[in-house]
Amino acid sequence: MSVDLTLIHPTRLELLRLRRRKALAEGIVDILKKDYDALMIALFELVRNLPSLRQQMREQLNRAYGSFIEAQMITGQKKIEEVSLTSEPVDFNLEVSARKGVLGLTLPSMQLNEQATGVSHPRFSLLDTPAQLDESIQEIKAALNNIVKLAETQAAMQEILDVMAVKRRQINRIEYRVLPQIDAAVHYVELILEETERQDAVRVRVLQRKRKERMQKTLETPT
Amino acid sequence: MSAWKYKQLTPKIIVSRLRLINSKDLTALCDKNFDAIHSMLAKTPYHREISDIPSDKLNSFTLESSLTKNFTRTFSEIIECSPKGIGSLLSAMQMKFEADNVKTMLRAKQANLNVDQAMEYIIPVARLNELYCRRKLESSRNTAELVEALADLDYGKILREAIGENEEPKPIQELETATDRYVYNRISKAAGKLRGLDGKIAKTVLGLEIDVVNLKIIFRCKTMGLEEHRAKKLLVHSSSVFEEEDVDKAIKASDIKSAAECLLAAAESAHARDHKYMLTDLLKELESSEAVSQLEKALDRSLLKTNLRMLKRYTSFFNIGSVLAFLNLKWFEVRNLRAIIRGTEAKVPADKIRKLLILPS
Repeated sequence: MSVDLTLIHPTRLELLRLRRRKALAEGIVDILKKDYDALMIALFELVRNLPSLRQQMREQLNRAYGSFIEAQMITGQKKIEEVSLTSEPVDFNLEVSARKGVLGLTLPSMQLNEQATGVSHPRFSLLDTPAQLDESIQEIKAALNNIVKLAETQAAMQEILDVMAVKRRQINRIEYRVLPQIDAAVHYVELILEETERQDAVRVRVLQRKRKERMQKTLETPT
Repeated sequence: MSAWKYKQLTPKIIVSRLRLINSKDLTALCDKNFDAIHSMLAKTPYHREISDIPSDKLNSFTLESSLTKNFTRTFSEIIECSPKGIGSLLSAMQMKFEADNVKTMLRAKQANLNVDQAMEYIIPVARLNELYCRRKLESSRNTAELVEALADLDYGKILREAIGENEEPKPIQELETATDRYVYNRISKAAGKLRGLDGKIAKTVLGLEIDVVNLKIIFRCKTMGLEEHRAKKLLVHSSSVFEEEDVDKAIKASDIKSAAECLLAAAESAHARDHKYMLTDLLKELESSEAVSQLEKALDRSLLKTNLRMLKRYTSFFNIGSVLAFLNLKWFEVRNLRAIIRGTEAKVPADKIRKLLILPS
């Protein structure tokens, strides 16, 4: 953590400037730490919601797969597989937009939109399939919504974590690099100024002594 | 009632019914693993079809197919020893399985499956045997060509009508519905041709079966939020119990319960007591759960109950009631075994598998 002291002008003005810089840097660290704390609180809130979202998603998927297996049990695996050959796929559209989050941070917002295709007719023969298949589809759709919510939460968490890492780096840079450099520079300038003061004092004393000696010589010399 | 014409059929039905797996054994199977189920089934009337499965290809998929093959074979054997009138009704009923193959071929063409892949989904039955299906699949490149190729059977004509003159590509579901509607219409007509007690039983049991199919479709359309006129297009031929306006009212009803209540009122005014029992059971089930899957199960159970009620109401022998009851019992046995096999393979808890079984008790 060296600082090129030769570039610093050891003047009182420079000392005042350095002290102002130090106060500013400490103020910045303070603000950054407050931001960091706010981000941490926002992150904890997201983390707190995560297990319940995951649990919901797991339960919905379990119910969906349970209903699907029940449909296979009633109609037979072969029939379900056969019906799936011609069933129209459901088109989903994932809309990703931005929303303002903590500290005005831009966080991703995700919305799953099902394109309304299956309203005119069912996607598969109602006579060849049991209602469990419909129930399974409904559960899968609900689970998909939760998966998207989970992805949104995780993306927001990632964003916050990235910003937190940047803030942490900034705090560390100021605390462990900028402030010690300023301190060293202040110390150097103070040392130089003290040295200059001492030299000045000595010089004054020498001059005073020389002036005294000169005055004595002038008095001793007969006119 | 002439008992003489049942001289072959009644003994066949009695023997076949005795060979059905009883409820206790079926329930016990839920706790067994796949190998145990396979070895148990190898000792039942299913052994012939099961022994045809090569040991390296033995899995739940092939076992399921062998059960259905056994059912279609049993069905054909019963038709062979049936008197003429009953034989034609049973042949009409067998068309349900033929229609399954027609729908399978349509789906295979729509999905561009090759012939061998398509044949894996086909269970040969009656006129739609393996050779016929293979030939039709080989000679057609798409759905329209397949419909043309099926012109030698009545299905070809029906599908041609469903496609219409402008030949715009239609959703395959419309062709499937047209096939199903035709088959149920044929069944209804064949039941109408029977006279006396046979006619009465056939009309009640098969009419109830058709109405159960319609009810299931109405309930699912309601849950899906399908428009009324579109839901109506999916219905199959209605029985004599419900008038068209009764069905319309049920479709237009605000919810499942009101739909069932509409039909119950219609059944009461038509003095159709079996329909009334079925709808009363359904409304009872509705009080505990509104899930359509539970209602479907209640409807299936009602269908089986009606079949067995016919045996109690009339004699167990020398009428079509015993044949229809056996066929339903056999079909539900196949369905139950399928549920057990798949459930065991998917490691579904035994109590959950048991809940899905439709047992005569």
